[in-house]
Amino acid sequence: MGRPTSSSSSIDSPNHFAFSSTASSQRDLTTDLRLGLSISIAPPFVREQWPPMKAAVAEEEHECNSSTFYVKVYMEGIPIGRKLDLLAHESYYDLIRTLEHMFHTNIIWAEAEMDRDHYEKYHVLTYEDKEGDWMMVGDVPWEMFLSAVRRLKISKC
Amino acid sequence: MPRRLASSLSDEVLEHVFSFIQSDKDRNVVSAVCKSWYEIERWCRRKIFVGNCYAVSPKMVIRRFPQVRSIELKGKPHFADFNLVPDGWGGYVLQWITEMAGAYPWLDEIRLKRMVVTDESLELIAKSFKDFKVLVLASCEGFSTDGLAAIAASCKNLRELDLRESEVDDSSVHWLSHFPETYTSMVSLNISCLGSGEVSFSALERLVSRCPNLRSLKLNRAVPLDKTANILRLAPQLVEFSTCTYSAELRSDVFSNLAGAFSNCKELRSLSGFWDVVPDYLPAIYSVCSRLTSLNLSYATIQSPDLIKLASHCPSLQHLLVLDYTEDSGLEALASNSKDLQELRVFPSDPFDAEPNASLTEQGLVAVSLGCPKLQSVLYFCRRMSNAALVTIAQNRPNLTRFRLCIIEPKTADYLTGEPFGVGFGAIVEHCKDLIRLSLSGLLTDCVFEYIGKYAKKLEMLSVAFAGDSDLGLHHVLSGCESLRKLEIRDCPFGDKALLTNAAKLETMRSLWMSSCSVSFEACKLLSQKMPRLNVEVIDERGPPDSRPENYTVDKLYIYRSVAGPRFDMPPFVWTKDEDLALRLSP
Repeated sequence: MGRPTSSSSSIDSPNHFAFSSTASSQRDLTTDLRLGLSISIAPPFVREQWPPMKAAVAEEEHECNSSTFYVKVYMEGIPIGRKLDLLAHESYYDLIRTLEHMFHTNIIWAEAEMDRDHYEKYHVLTYEDKEGDWMMVGDVPWEMFLSAVRRLKISKC
Repeated sequence: MPRRLASSLSDEVLEHVFSFIQSDKDRNVVSAVCKSWYEIERWCRRKIFVGNCYAVSPKMVIRRFPQVRSIELKGKPHFADFNLVPDGWGGYVLQWITEMAGAYPWLDEIRLKRMVVTDESLELIAKSFKDFKVLVLASCEGFSTDGLAAIAASCKNLRELDLRESEVDDSSVHWLSHFPETYTSMVSLNISCLGSGEVSFSALERLVSRCPNLRSLKLNRAVPLDKTANILRLAPQLVEFSTCTYSAELRSDVFSNLAGAFSNCKELRSLSGFWDVVPDYLPAIYSVCSRLTSLNLSYATIQSPDLIKLASHCPSLQHLLVLDYTEDSGLEALASNSKDLQELRVFPSDPFDAEPNASLTEQGLVAVSLGCPKLQSVLYFCRRMSNAALVTIAQNRPNLTRFRLCIIEPKTADYLTGEPFGVGFGAIVEHCKDLIRLSLSGLLTDCVFEYIGKYAKKLEMLSVAFAGDSDLGLHHVLSGCESLRKLEIRDCPFGDKALLTNAAKLETMRSLWMSSCSVSFEACKLLSQKMPRLNVEVIDERGPPDSRPENYTVDKLYIYRSVAGPRFDMPPFVWTKDEDLALRLSP
């Protein structure tokens, strides 16, 4: 029926509008396609409420609608985790600032500089991606991180 | 039966005989034999099922059946589960409760699905029915913990309180504490839908400890893990249990406490919950696994290797709900371990993502269809399918009664041949002669509907989306499917012709839903005029259909048969042929 199948199924779903509305105006569309990110093309019809799943199953899994995206954050050694709205942040710097405040520590991520003599004062920030792997935060563009991240972990150095 | 004999049996004898006839269908047949049987039967019918609360009025039910003890009502159409029915459409139960409060003082069971239930309704139930025993509110909304408190306080003989998948507002009342200390009759409690503020854990513990007949307990996810063990120790007689949140990292003291508690539960047959379960905790349930017949892991984000290990401990499984993290390998393990499997539901972990995040394909379903001879009911979300796989599944499992396939990307073709899925679904309806429910997906032309009309003679419910080429598709279904009761369609090019040609068919069905199709308001009005016992509701929030251009097609259409006439609680966005605005009263 004329619509490309690659990376277009999620165009209309509500939780991806949030990612594309800020990103696509500034970025190269071909980069988006290559990275497999959803992009916001005005569709001939809006495919709402698809796939047909009851709200509880879909929303519990994502906890993500057009304005919030909460992920769990655990700090090593503390069994009770916190929750953080990633969409309330604009960039990695924003996120790191919030986490440092929330957990009262210094956070190491891909672009951090660390005082190597006092490593005990630092914690490393990692995230679990969709494949279940734990990766250091900060290597990929912010929007790509948002689409891959499942939860965060702050570990001792 | 010779007429002489029929009239010589006394009413008491007949009534006694009728008491052995439980099914609604049989009761309806009995009541049609002759006038005297109709009279006797209606006085002794105790259980009523109303599949569409607008098909009949409460007064009519009460007039015909004066001594009902148990009622089940359904409100909104099925697609309301997917947010396709706007808020305020209807399904209010208050009028039913009000009428029954006066007419059925001995009513003891109320089961509602997709209805709007208010605190006022719940308070009325609590006040009106002295021996009230069973309240099931499935996918309902409109009430708060205030209403639950009224039920808890007044219903001394309450046995079952089941709020499955309902939306409950938190009024901050500790409703569980409203069960008096003298209350001990709970058998089944399902509060899995409640939020964290709505359950006082200490009240729950006290309730569980004083209800020795408690068989089924489904808690909400806010109850912490270490408390689960306490609850299980208080109720080792449980048959069904829904666990709470496991997301903490493994602590060996919590683990061994939990494992010990589970090992006491010799009657446990059904487990669900498992929100955010950390795989390290799963072995805590191994002691009960060999007896489990039902397992719902659809909230558990555990990966395939852990699922395979778990499944290998559960040879008696009959019902399994799981996420696509199980992958083909997990389903293959299931197929070889669980020979009693009757029902499988596989949900997508990432429904809105274009790319699959788990290696689940059609192969998993094929394996289960081959390995599980008792498989009857399937709900399967996947991202690719082939006609060959569907044919294989159909040939392997002709005993399927429910087959619901959702290929996540609409209009996806057979990944091997690029063809539409006519042949595949055609094989399903041809081989599975007892199929009563079918959901289609993927690329589909009118061809598949021809097969369905030709073969699916026992089909009662059909769900269609993004399929078909023309009205012929709809016509095949309406003219061919003799047993069809519910048809729900979205985003298909079906229009006026098929509907008007098959108008009479619609009165033999419970309901028809069509949204984002090609039906005109003119056709709706015509249909409505032709068929006075159909309610034809055009649901359109964009404004009055009459004021729109000629080629306008209605947004949503819900047609259902009714002996109650047009309803009185239609919201402003529901349009019917009646211009009488007096019919538009707020509920």
